[in-house]
Amino acid sequence: MMKTPRLLAALAAVLMLAIAGCGSDDDDDGGAPEAEKATQAKASGNITWCIGKDTSGAFGTVVDNFNKANPKANVKLLELPEDAGEQRRLQIQRLRAKSTECDVLGMDVIWTAEYAGQGWLKDVSDFMSQNADQFIESTVETTDFEGKNWGVPFNSNAGFIYYRTDQVDKAPDTWEDLYKEAKANNGVVYQGFRYEGLTVNFLELLYSAGGTVISEDGKQATADSQEVKDVLTFMADGIKNGAAPKANTTYKEEESRRAFESGNATFMRNWPYAYALGKDSKIADKFDIATFPGFKGNEGAGVVGGYNLGISAYAKNPEGSLAFIEFATKPDQQKIMATEASLPPTVASVYDDPAVKKAMPFADQLRSAIEQAQARPVSAVYPQISEAIYNNVYDALQGNTSPDEAASKMNDEIQKALETF
Amino acid sequence: MEAATARLGRGRRRKREKSYGSEERRLATLLLSPAMVVIALVAAYPIGYAVWLSLTEYSLREPGKWRFAGFDNYSEAFGSTEFWGAVKNTFLFTGLSVSLELVIGLGMALAMHAAFKGRGLLRTVVLVPWAVLTVVSAITWRTLFEPNLGLAPTVLEKIGIGENVVWLGQEGYAMAVMVLADVWKTAPFMALLLLAGLQVIPDDVYDAAKVDGATTWQRFRRITIPLLMPAILVALIFRTLDALRIFDLPFVLTGGTNGTSTLSLIAQQELTTNNLIGYGSALSVLTFVIVMGVSFIYIRTVGGNIKSLAEDT
Repeated sequence: MMKTPRLLAALAAVLMLAIAGCGSDDDDDGGAPEAEKATQAKASGNITWCIGKDTSGAFGTVVDNFNKANPKANVKLLELPEDAGEQRRLQIQRLRAKSTECDVLGMDVIWTAEYAGQGWLKDVSDFMSQNADQFIESTVETTDFEGKNWGVPFNSNAGFIYYRTDQVDKAPDTWEDLYKEAKANNGVVYQGFRYEGLTVNFLELLYSAGGTVISEDGKQATADSQEVKDVLTFMADGIKNGAAPKANTTYKEEESRRAFESGNATFMRNWPYAYALGKDSKIADKFDIATFPGFKGNEGAGVVGGYNLGISAYAKNPEGSLAFIEFATKPDQQKIMATEASLPPTVASVYDDPAVKKAMPFADQLRSAIEQAQARPVSAVYPQISEAIYNNVYDALQGNTSPDEAASKMNDEIQKALETF
Repeated sequence: MEAATARLGRGRRRKREKSYGSEERRLATLLLSPAMVVIALVAAYPIGYAVWLSLTEYSLREPGKWRFAGFDNYSEAFGSTEFWGAVKNTFLFTGLSVSLELVIGLGMALAMHAAFKGRGLLRTVVLVPWAVLTVVSAITWRTLFEPNLGLAPTVLEKIGIGENVVWLGQEGYAMAVMVLADVWKTAPFMALLLLAGLQVIPDDVYDAAKVDGATTWQRFRRITIPLLMPAILVALIFRTLDALRIFDLPFVLTGGTNGTSTLSLIAQQELTTNNLIGYGSALSVLTFVIVMGVSFIYIRTVGGNIKSLAEDT
C-alpha cells in the first residue's frame, strides 16, 4: 500500500507518462516499466467507475489512492449489484441508452467480446500492446476480440479441487481417479445447475481432454467431437453411478459449498472464495485444495474467470479513464485487491508478495491454476454459445439425452448462435 | 359487493339513457381524454413498440446494424421446442395452481366467514403469505427444498414421500414445488375475494332454507355456490391472468429447468441474457396475445355470466 508521499508522487507521474506515450526514463517502486515512458499533465476531470458491489471496501481504497495521487481528477465509484447477471443487465441498459454516466466499466471476462461487438467499448490495444507483459497470459486472452484489445485484466479467477484430507490421502492426479475415489467415499459436488457455472465445469474437463467448442477463427462450431462425447459420457456416468450426487443438478456455487462444508461430500469443485469460508466451518482442519487433475491422460486445465476494466464508448473522460485503469491494474493496487478483497491478481509478480501470500495461503496454487486456465470462447454471441453448452450438458446429466445426441445438438446450437445476424 | 356493483351499473345505464345529448357526450369525451392520453403513453406506445421490435433483428456483431425481419422471429418461435414447452408448462401451472387455490381459498373463506372469537385476527394472519414478496417467498421455498440440507425433503422422506428425490431437480417434482409455492402465497388472496362475496349473501336466505328442511350440503350447493358465483368468477379471472404471466417463481426456484420454464421466463432470458431483442420481443408479444386471448374468452363466456348473475341478485 502507498504510504509515503514520494511513492504517491512517483505513481502519479507514471500515470501521466503512460498517457502521452513518448519516452523518458523514470523510477518508481510499484509501476510497470513500460508505463514510465512519457510526460504529461496529471490525469484530470471526473471519472465514474461502474463495477459490482464493493463488499470489502477495496475498490474504495483504490479510488481514494488514485484521487490522492491525482488532485485534478476525481474518480467516483458507482456500485452495481453483487449478482453478475444484474451488473451486466444494468450496464447494458445504460450502454443501449448511450448513457454517459459510466466511464470505466468493470466487466466479467465473458462480456468483453459481447460489449466490443456492440461498439460499446473504446479500443485499448495501444495500452495493452505496451503493458500486456505484466499480465498472466490467459487473462489477456479474455480482452481480445477480432484482433484488438477492449479491456485490461483487473482481477482473475480459476477453480480448484477441494478435498477432504481425512478421507483421501492426496488430491487425485486424474479426473477418472477423482470420480473413483468419490464413489468409494462421499462423492464429488460441483456446479451442475443449468447456468453459466455448468459451462465452466464442463469446459474445465473438455479443455483438459484437448477439445474445443468453436474453431480458432470463431466461425465454426467444433462440439460434435469425440472429446465432447467423452466428457459428457464421463459426467453423465458420474451422476448415474453416484460418484456425483444427482443433487448436483440443482447446485450453484453456494449450494455446493454448503454441501461440502456440512460434510456431505469428499470432493468439491469451486472457486477460491470457498477457501476462507471453509476455514471457518466445521471441516476447517479437514480439507485442502489442489489444482485441477487431468482427463484422459492429459494435463489439468481450467477456465479463466474474473473481471476486465474497459472504457465505455460514451465515456465523457476517456483519457482520465485510461489513467485510472492503468493505476488500478498496477501491482501495488492489485496487492490491495488481493489482501483486502481476496480478488486474485492478474499480474503474476503480485503472487510472490509476502502480504499476498499471507492473505491467500494458496497463492502459489492459484497462480498455477490461472496460468493453466484458458479463456471461454471469445465471441460476441457468447451468451448463446454458453446456453447451447449448459442446456445440453444439463440434459445429458439428467439422462434426458444420450451424450452423443447432446454433443450433436450442442454443435448445431452453437453453429446457429455463430450465424446470428 | 356484486349486488352493489350491479346496482351501480344499472344506475349508470339509466343516467346515460336520460342524458344522451351531444353536449354531454362532448363533455364526456373531454373528461376522458386526459386518461386516454395517459393510457396511450404508458400502455399503447410500449406495446406498439414491442410489436415493432418483434418484426426486426438487431445485429450482435456490428454496432447499430439492424434489419426488418418480417415474421421470421415468430416462425422461429413456432418452430422451437423451447416455445411450445413453455406454453405447455405455463398452462399446466395455471390449471393446477388456480384450481387448487380456488378449492383451498373457498375453504378458507367459509372458515373465516363463520362467526367465532378471534375472527378478525385470523383474517389478518391468513393474509400474511400474500403480503410476502414473491421473490422472497420463492427463495424461502428453494432453501426449504434444498437437497440434504433443506427441511422439506427430510420431513417428507420421514413420512414416505419422495425418497431420494431431488425436488427442484426432477421433472414433475419441480412443478409440484412451484405449484405449492404459488398456492401457499395466493390462496389467501382468493379467500379474501370469496369472503367478500360470502358477506353479501343475506342470512335470511339460509334461515328460510333451514325452515324448509334443507341440509347443510343442500344449503351450500343451492345457496352459497350460486350466490357466490360472481365473486368466484372475478377471482378466477384475476388469478388465471396472473398465473399465465408467472415469472418470479420459476426464475428463483428452478431457472426454468425440469419442465418449469414459462412464457415470461423464456422471453426474459432471450431478451436480457441473449440480448436477442427481436426474438425476445416476439416471445413477449406472443405471451401478451395468449393472455389477451384467455381474458377475451373469459369475458365472452364468463363475463356475461357475471353480469346476468349480478343482475339476478
